[in-house]
Amino acid sequence: MTSQNTPSTAPEDAIDETMGKPPSPFMETWNYFRKNRGAYVGLIVIAIILFVAAFADVISPYDPILQDRTAFLKPPIWMDGADPRYILGTDAVGRDILSRLIHGAQLSVSIGVFVVIASMIAGIMLGVTAGYFRGWIEVGIMRLMDTMLALPSLIMAMAIVAILGPGLENAMLAIAIVQLPHYVRLSRASVVTELNKEYVIASQIAGAGHMRQMFINILPNCMAPLIVQGTLGISSAILDAAALGFLGLGAQPPLPEWGTMLAEAREFVGSAWWVITFPGLCILVTVLAFNLMGDGLRDALDPKMKR
Amino acid sequence: MSFLDSKPGVPLLESDDLVRHYEVNRGLGKPNATVKALDGVSFTLESKKTLAVVGESGCGKSTLGRQLTLIEKPSAGQLKINGDAVGDLSDKDAKMFRRTVQMIFQNPYGSLNPRKKVGQILGEPVLLNMDHLGRKEREERVRDTMAKVGLRPEFYNRYPHMFSGGQRQRISIARALILEPKVIVADEPVSALDVSVQAQVLNLMMDLQEEMNVAYVFISHDLSVVRHIADDVMVMYLGRVAEKGPTEEIFAKPLHPYTRALLASAPKIDPTHRVKSEPLTGELPSPINPPSGCAFHKRCPFATEECAKVRPELRMFEGREVACHRVEEIA
Amino acid sequence: MALLEVKNLTVEFGSEDKPFRAVDSVSYSVDRGEVLGIVGESGSGKSVSSLAIMGLIDFPGRVTADSLTFDGQDLLTMAPSKRRAITGKDIAMIFQDPMSALNPCFTVEAQIMEALKVHEGGSKKQRRERTLDLINQVGIPDPKSRMTAYPHQLSGGMSQRVVIAMAIACQPRLLIADEPTTALDVTIQAQIIDLLLKLQEDSDMGLLLITHDLALVSEAANRIQVMYAGQLFESGPADSIFTAPRHPYTQALLEALPERSVGRDRLSTIPGVVPGQYDRPKGCLLAPRCRYANDHCVASQPEVTDFNGRDVRCFYPLDDQGLPTGQTNSQNVGETV
Repeated sequence: MTSQNTPSTAPEDAIDETMGKPPSPFMETWNYFRKNRGAYVGLIVIAIILFVAAFADVISPYDPILQDRTAFLKPPIWMDGADPRYILGTDAVGRDILSRLIHGAQLSVSIGVFVVIASMIAGIMLGVTAGYFRGWIEVGIMRLMDTMLALPSLIMAMAIVAILGPGLENAMLAIAIVQLPHYVRLSRASVVTELNKEYVIASQIAGAGHMRQMFINILPNCMAPLIVQGTLGISSAILDAAALGFLGLGAQPPLPEWGTMLAEAREFVGSAWWVITFPGLCILVTVLAFNLMGDGLRDALDPKMKR
Repeated sequence: MSFLDSKPGVPLLESDDLVRHYEVNRGLGKPNATVKALDGVSFTLESKKTLAVVGESGCGKSTLGRQLTLIEKPSAGQLKINGDAVGDLSDKDAKMFRRTVQMIFQNPYGSLNPRKKVGQILGEPVLLNMDHLGRKEREERVRDTMAKVGLRPEFYNRYPHMFSGGQRQRISIARALILEPKVIVADEPVSALDVSVQAQVLNLMMDLQEEMNVAYVFISHDLSVVRHIADDVMVMYLGRVAEKGPTEEIFAKPLHPYTRALLASAPKIDPTHRVKSEPLTGELPSPINPPSGCAFHKRCPFATEECAKVRPELRMFEGREVACHRVEEIA
Repeated sequence: MALLEVKNLTVEFGSEDKPFRAVDSVSYSVDRGEVLGIVGESGSGKSVSSLAIMGLIDFPGRVTADSLTFDGQDLLTMAPSKRRAITGKDIAMIFQDPMSALNPCFTVEAQIMEALKVHEGGSKKQRRERTLDLINQVGIPDPKSRMTAYPHQLSGGMSQRVVIAMAIACQPRLLIADEPTTALDVTIQAQIIDLLLKLQEDSDMGLLLITHDLALVSEAANRIQVMYAGQLFESGPADSIFTAPRHPYTQALLEALPERSVGRDRLSTIPGVVPGQYDRPKGCLLAPRCRYANDHCVASQPEVTDFNGRDVRCFYPLDDQGLPTGQTNSQNVGETV
């Protein structure tokens, strides 16, 4: 092929269109996101939590499972009878609550991230397959997901843990399975809408195979709602993990997981409020931050909300 | 590559009684209905010629495009390229056939993958069909084609949203051209564009036809555009051909009552071109339950009892094909 | 006095310091029994200006005008509730996509009766009769059975007829039709335009027909306004504006029509694209695309002036031969700006 400009192309070229460029999609999304104050705060809180989790060993004043037999159930430092070494006090066996919370952040964040990644990968595979091939494959996958959704999520997670045996890994796996239907349904729905677009047909005419169509051409256009669901999924994974931990089915003592900490502190609700309040607050703030950011992302990524 | 070589006396593309029916689920307990989207369409297309397919929405012109580009298999009938039937081809040859028939789409916004750069969009057909080319050669071919359609090669790394509708349509044309096809099916390529940009794109398409020896199947509802670009016109109504012939003859003297109505309904800027006639009454009948006899008889001012009973077949009249019982009297 | 008078209507979006002018000081008027066609390419601001008249520009947009009067009443200073009463009853609007203009959850009858109830009242029986009347009036066959149909059961053409029935339900004095036939086929388009013109004539309504289709507007309108990038470029009577265009843009637009170049190989084109939000030229907005543009056009913006009874926004309006006037002594033209 020789490159020769045909006469009709000359006028178009005569005008430089680069002088004013619309902002890139990323910058546009970021601008929308930034305007949402709640989401912005959520992002900052998450950044702090991630920082704390990443440098837990450096930041935390003590080993989270180290027991100080001289200081049982010491209150936070601003209260009478506090031990100045322990800022947020100690628990029933003399462990520093602040250190446990900091290490708990590490655990909780990695639970959330792992669960979402595992669940998302499996969910996208199933959902894209269902949406792309339609027919009996779709019926099979979607009815199975409907069945899973028909069970209350925590009960199903408990059932799975009961089968696999308690423990942090099994709890994470159970939560990942419980979250699966959301990703499957979401990715199937997006694929079905994208499938009718002309660019998909254009690639088909160009000779693209099924795998290329599904994962290279269509999937990137379905990611926006999945990212939002993933962010929200992290918070529900943390919550579910805490619930399983509280029920004794998740992380086992002495692991400083927030839910497990709550469970251990149950009997001191009346006498030592700090043992139970701080882990509870941590869960609340983290979950809230992820939810705020997820909502902000949804607004920023959803083209219907723009202008 | 034998079937890709043109043979003397054999048309480049031939559609032989192409039929496409869709089954429509009408709900629980009811039998499925059949929609005859394409009901026996034949035509031939010579190299470097443009055949316009004209009709209102629901006439089957887009379904025809889907058959020609092999997105769907016809229910019956054959598609031949250089005399060889596509249905008989091996898988490998079918892939070669695909390369020879490419497509330009109507919607310049939906037809380009928004997450891909122009270079990737244009590179995909090359990557998939010319595996002997290396990365460098592929990129070069993409840039060459971009230059051909009047896009500056610097646009290689830009995303589709950075372009105007007309430029997007140029990208779409480049994608169709990059494999050097023999036939391009253009489905309403300019109907989403403004008048001034439409003229640019039409000129480009005609220049490229001259330069690359490509034949167009030009699907459109805009008669003034068709008149400008097409050598032959095929008017369709409810999945069947109503009239077919050379463009100038059809515009100078439309024979089928439906063609006449179409020409009369189109608004014209020049008062002298205007034909004063009663607008066509009624609407396109449902393809699930088409009228008996001639599908057009309920809207036709010339309809007789025969039209309601017997379906007219295409026949030669004054050098073109018309499907009308009363063409002799009307003409 | 004209039914609708718009003087220097401007609609701005975006920030205060760097606003984007979607509509830039546009003036026009529509009389009773008159069809005014507004024609322009996408991005010309033709739709935005009509939305501004209806008071449908939401918060980030800012609407300003020297005056905006309907039948002598100033729409800009009037109380919002009063304005809504007028824009619902005396000014009606129909849009391009009839499907999304109808509520899919209600029958045709219920939707037309609702429109009647808000503005006219009357007993249920009266309103039902009036609905049947309207459906007859817009030429829907078999009205009795169509009344109980839901929008999805109707074709595009039928839906647009229903939308028109709703629009004329309260006997408006001005009907704004924004691309009313763009989504429809040619034969149906002809039916709908005929219907609109018949209704307009019968009730002596003013009709504002907004479209991108030059041929359509030349057949339907009495007067035509050509808009470009938010500005009024030329306005004049329909029978002469397209036979003797005074503005280079109108001329170029006409030449780009395939209908005007029958028998020619190439279509004449206008290079480039309509300027968007980010690439507005400093001088005349057409200057980068205009074949007659000179330094003066690039440097400063022309105002709308009267030229042989035509409003034209150009320094060098075209004469009867289609050639720019006064370009040799551009100094004189320049002084008027």
